[in-house]
Amino acid sequence: MATATAGVSTSARGVVSSKAELPKPQLSKGMLRLPWASGRRASSRRLVLVASSPSTPPNISEKVVESIKKAEETCAEDAASGECAAAWDEVEELSAAASHARDKLKASDPLEEYCKDNPETDECRTYED
Amino acid sequence: MATCTVYPAPSLHSSCSFPGPAKTCLGFQQGQVIFLTSGRRSGRRGGRSSSEISCSAEAKTVVIGLAADSGCGKSTFMRRLTSVFGGAAEPPKGGNPDSNTLISDTTTVICLDDYHSLDRTGRKEKGVTALDPQANDFDLMYEQVKALKEGVTVDKPIYNHVTGLLDPPELIDPPKILVIEGLHPMFDARVRDLLDFSIYLDISNEVKFAWKIQRDMAERGHSLESIKASIEARKPDFDAYIDPQKQYADAVIEVLPTRLIPDDNEGKVLRVRLIMKEGVKHFSPVYLFDDGSTISWIPCGRKLTCSYPGIQFSYGPDTYYSNEVSVLEMDGQFDRLDELIYVESHLSNLSTKFYGEVTQQMLKHADFPGSNNGTGLFQTIIGLKIRDLYEQIVAERAAAAVEAAKV
Repeated sequence: MATATAGVSTSARGVVSSKAELPKPQLSKGMLRLPWASGRRASSRRLVLVASSPSTPPNISEKVVESIKKAEETCAEDAASGECAAAWDEVEELSAAASHARDKLKASDPLEEYCKDNPETDECRTYED
Repeated sequence: MATCTVYPAPSLHSSCSFPGPAKTCLGFQQGQVIFLTSGRRSGRRGGRSSSEISCSAEAKTVVIGLAADSGCGKSTFMRRLTSVFGGAAEPPKGGNPDSNTLISDTTTVICLDDYHSLDRTGRKEKGVTALDPQANDFDLMYEQVKALKEGVTVDKPIYNHVTGLLDPPELIDPPKILVIEGLHPMFDARVRDLLDFSIYLDISNEVKFAWKIQRDMAERGHSLESIKASIEARKPDFDAYIDPQKQYADAVIEVLPTRLIPDDNEGKVLRVRLIMKEGVKHFSPVYLFDDGSTISWIPCGRKLTCSYPGIQFSYGPDTYYSNEVSVLEMDGQFDRLDELIYVESHLSNLSTKFYGEVTQQMLKHADFPGSNNGTGLFQTIIGLKIRDLYEQIVAERAAAAVEAAKV
């Protein structure tokens, strides 16, 4: 889905690689401050965990690479043909699938998951100062 | 919506048990089933010589259509929508792991890609994109959406996006709210008529390009050129088949580049317009200050301080593809909670159940993309509007049933 990374936190500016994980809200649950407002500190050069290799599962990644090559070949012959459009459409479909796979893989913290559904339990209680 | 009413002749001995209108209508979409009795006919019924079950399709499910490019059930809009109704939407348990369907307590989201008549190889051979109507089975789509609307379980095919093949079908039970999401929800006129509400997500070319760059640049093999080529190659089919659906939508969410930052090409700050059709049953457009007038509003000032680039709202009546519409527009970003609540308190007709509900919904999903701009705001508002629409329809049907029972 094209909306995958659009318009998200301002604190992402300091990040070097676009593969970086979006900074998880450092505020504990229940606080009223918006997570995206947390990046305004002077020390915004904090280290963000960067995946050193694409986090797409390799088989999908392979498919995307292949499909792009094929599309470029097909379109080199005849750029206006239906085959060319179909080839690029396949690239788009696979890129979307790759992006979904990446989202699925993003390590979800078991405690976060649990607290999402059970914010009132002891483990998930938060205290505001 | 008429229910099935049975007029038995007194001599009918067979044990006809009709468990309920919906089940009786199974398979008989519109029409009559006539039982000829062999016993004596009573003259009291004024010449009626047989018992009839008169079935006309009774709608049980509310159907919403969402037109969006390259997204299926996992999109942010879907997640916000299902969250408004409560509960998280999950793929069907125990089924095909590559299923595109999402199911929550009240809502089922169906991906229209499942109605592809041609799989990836088929499309390549024919030289058609998935956007082309030739690649989709609209008859099946119509049949199944109609069946689900009437409360009948269907066996829906699965299109596997990873392999590009059509997988064995899965069983879908009729939900309270059915959302059909995909490229062609409003393309076929019959399907269009089944929709109780329809939404079109219109992303402008510049924003689409910026988003696709963000999505795909990390991917091995992709380059700026390949991303551009991919968008260009799909554009003719998109403009011919998908774009025209805009005119039929009850609500269009248009996403454009911001006007607050000159020459911005990052697509981070967005100008989002919510175009709402007037005169749609059960749907009253959101407005600012005064319904029907033209308003331009910058909330940042003495009471509210915003950081660059700030927020600008506008509202007014307009015409869109020869339909009367009201347009609510937001340009800029939310930075803080109080900006969000301030804006919410000035909007009217939000269909919230309590003050601050929009803000609460936005906060609940603060990690979703678009949570700090008009996309998240308008998606949330549409979600609340759909909830309102659903409740109105249910109340209306309940009232109609009471009326029918009295007669």
